Amino acid sequence: MKMNHNNPKIPKGIIINLVIIIATFIFVNYIAGLIFLITYILNSLKSFSKNQKEEFIKDVIEIENVDLLKNKIEKRKKYLQISLNSRLEVAQEIVLSLPKSDRVLIEVGSSLINRYGTMSVSGVKIFAPTNSYIIADCKCADLAPREVKMMANAGASAATCLGVAPIETIDSFIEECQKFNIDSMIDMMNVESAIEVLKKLKKLPNVVILNKGSNEINKQIPFYQINQIKGNYNLFVAVSGSQTIKEVQSAIFNAADIVVVGEDLYNSQQDQLVETFLKKIK
Amino acid sequence: MVYKLPASDKIIIEAGTPLIRKYGQKGITSLKNWWSERIQKPAYIIADLKCMDRSAQEVRSAFEAGASAATCLGLAPIETINEFINECKEKEIDSMLDMMNVPFPFEILQRIDNLPNIVVLHRGVDENEKNREKEIPYDQINRIRGTYNNLLISVAGGETTREVMRAFFNNANIVVVWRSFYESPDDTAKLAQDFLRLIK
Repeated sequence: MKMNHNNPKIPKGIIINLVIIIATFIFVNYIAGLIFLITYILNSLKSFSKNQKEEFIKDVIEIENVDLLKNKIEKRKKYLQISLNSRLEVAQEIVLSLPKSDRVLIEVGSSLINRYGTMSVSGVKIFAPTNSYIIADCKCADLAPREVKMMANAGASAATCLGVAPIETIDSFIEECQKFNIDSMIDMMNVESAIEVLKKLKKLPNVVILNKGSNEINKQIPFYQINQIKGNYNLFVAVSGSQTIKEVQSAIFNAADIVVVGEDLYNSQQDQLVETFLKKIK
Repeated sequence: MVYKLPASDKIIIEAGTPLIRKYGQKGITSLKNWWSERIQKPAYIIADLKCMDRSAQEVRSAFEAGASAATCLGLAPIETINEFINECKEKEIDSMLDMMNVPFPFEILQRIDNLPNIVVLHRGVDENEKNREKEIPYDQINRIRGTYNNLLISVAGGETTREVMRAFFNNANIVVVWRSFYESPDDTAKLAQDFLRLIK
């Protein structure tokens, strides 16, 4: 009996079909697996409490401070705000030299905004460390909705309004800031009593800035008003006008949450200012 | 909008605060170039900086951009206003003191070292919308002009032809209008002609 040694031939069509079926099987499983994973993550997130969700995001994105994700400042922390007020080139140089810390806030000063427009806010944001808190010091005095929208769209985390502005403007400013989810800061420059302005408002701002204007050389920073405000309202108080590191420490000692310093002081201290602040003031 | 306006030297163009905040010096320079081209001579442009601090720096910035006048808030510290007026003099541009939300403009004028060129009497836009009762302080015009002869008075916050007429009738030198133009830009030419007819 002669054996037929020829191997039985599987038709080519069947092989191709088999390959297609196996490939489809793997692909469908892969997609299904992916969908399952995404649904699982989303469901887990839904069932998380707010804190757990923040923890999860913190772990995944590896950001030091979750509050900065929301671009908000925190109670119990002390902040140093660097005010940039000359040229964009100078601002860029300073911002690039800043250490990455959620306790360093960057202010785009009104002189910079008046010179370059909202481009100064978005420009500084680009050079600043990721998730930096940027303040647009637009010193709003009228037409609040337009200024707030402009600054929020440029990427600001907060904007400023003058305490001497009409009450209608300040009210509208705070309302618009809430709408655009940015912090409202009221600059009390040349206001006799900040607390009197706060009493007249419909809603409170997030921050009150006690200010000694750069032209007001002989004036004292009104430290006594810090506790007056904090005793009555749950607000952040910023103090502007410190000329030396000693004055910065003095502002913190007087219970200020944020100390605003100009770029002159920053430059004269050759980076020591921020380092000293972060090290010595907790 | 600038090109739609009739070419009259009675029209002064103001680079408003939101425009400056958005475009900075470029906004002022562009307006200057467009309006100069339209009237065929160097245009008078006001930079409504609403200066509150660092006045010398702000004035220099507006001057560099080509502004013929700049504004400072009457609510600013006296030191800021003094520096503002001095810097404007040095740069040979007109100084305008905006008296928005100032209860007694007269008092501010008495406290400063040198007088500005122009005083702006104001009713803010936000005030106007939320508090209809607030009036443009027409009564202040003659009070200020009676004491300070050389000062020019500008009145802002009125929009209707009736309000514009009332301001001129009360001896204002300049009337600031924007809303009617802003709300119906297509009618720019007609609105401007109407206002020009009123002040002849």
